[in-house]
Amino acid sequence: MAKAIPRTGSRRNVRIGSRKSARRIPKGVIHVQASFNNTIVTVTDVRGRVVSWSSAGTCGFKGTRRGTPFAAQTAASNAIRTVVDQGMQRAEVMIKGPGLGRDAALRAIRRSGILLTFVRDVTPMPHNGCRPPKKRRV
Amino acid sequence: MPHLLIHRSTITLPCFIAHSTPSCSRLASVGLRRPAQNRLISTATCVGDGNAANRTIICMANPRRVKMVAKQIRRELSDMLLTDKVLQYAVLPEAALGADRYLSSLTTISDVEVSADLQVVKVYVSVFGDERGKEVALAGLKSKAKYVRSELGKRMKLRLTPEIRFLEDESLERGSRVIAILDRIKDENERKVTKDQVYDSGEFADGSNDNVEWEGDDLDDEGIIYVK
Repeated sequence: MAKAIPRTGSRRNVRIGSRKSARRIPKGVIHVQASFNNTIVTVTDVRGRVVSWSSAGTCGFKGTRRGTPFAAQTAASNAIRTVVDQGMQRAEVMIKGPGLGRDAALRAIRRSGILLTFVRDVTPMPHNGCRPPKKRRV
Repeated sequence: MPHLLIHRSTITLPCFIAHSTPSCSRLASVGLRRPAQNRLISTATCVGDGNAANRTIICMANPRRVKMVAKQIRRELSDMLLTDKVLQYAVLPEAALGADRYLSSLTTISDVEVSADLQVVKVYVSVFGDERGKEVALAGLKSKAKYVRSELGKRMKLRLTPEIRFLEDESLERGSRVIAILDRIKDENERKVTKDQVYDSGEFADGSNDNVEWEGDDLDDEGIIYVK
């Protein structure tokens, strides 16, 4: 293409972002956010840049089935599949939230052959900060 | 008021006390000792037969309410496991030493079952970790059952805080083992298929999943025996 005069306000130089180059990451971090209704599994590198992610909703489950441990398992194995091919051997797991996805995703990760170095719980804990929502009346 | 009426009727029935169905006897004994279990009676469906011979009064809460209470208890207990220091030390003793960021075992509440009269709660707990971690976690939880009951009473507004029993839940583990075996079978089938194709084409190709699956094979061979 002929080099055009770059106009301000038009996205001429579109940032390609991170190209899908096969980054060889031997060690990564797997974040599992397990709420009561869904589980999101994100695979990042050690610095925190996301490599791939998957959740129970994107795996095809809908509604109440997203909260089940089986859905968490499929989400975890989906997220890891891309990364295992890239050659990740060791991973640290960070777990956030209550929910069945904690256990199920951990078991799925262990089953897939990736070596778990550490399991950490990073549920956000306020040092008595914001006021929590009102108590549910049962 | 409706519940007062029913309370009077349970006390004046002479033959009611003679029947020894568990819910009725509990109700009778409680009704005599202190003023009525209003919650049990007012929200309940009381079925009283007209016969003098067999009067069975079953007072159970609405099943929808039972489900709601179960869900709320599950939320509260999970929250307690995450935030409460006492419970965390009971489940994972090394947290007291400060090693709480790097866990050796992870405890999750997988299911909560509430009895129909909201008196007994069975909590199914699943522990991820080795054998010792599992025993330690479950023993710790069982020892703190009374503390958990009092905490639950403070957090939730119930007439009578139910008795809490912790049980081990093996269903997640079993499911994981079954899926591991199924995966292995699927990989073996794929390998067989590719091998056939390879022989047809005459080339020699390397198996793609060899390095990942061989360690799993040794462990899962023992697992096959235990799967019922």
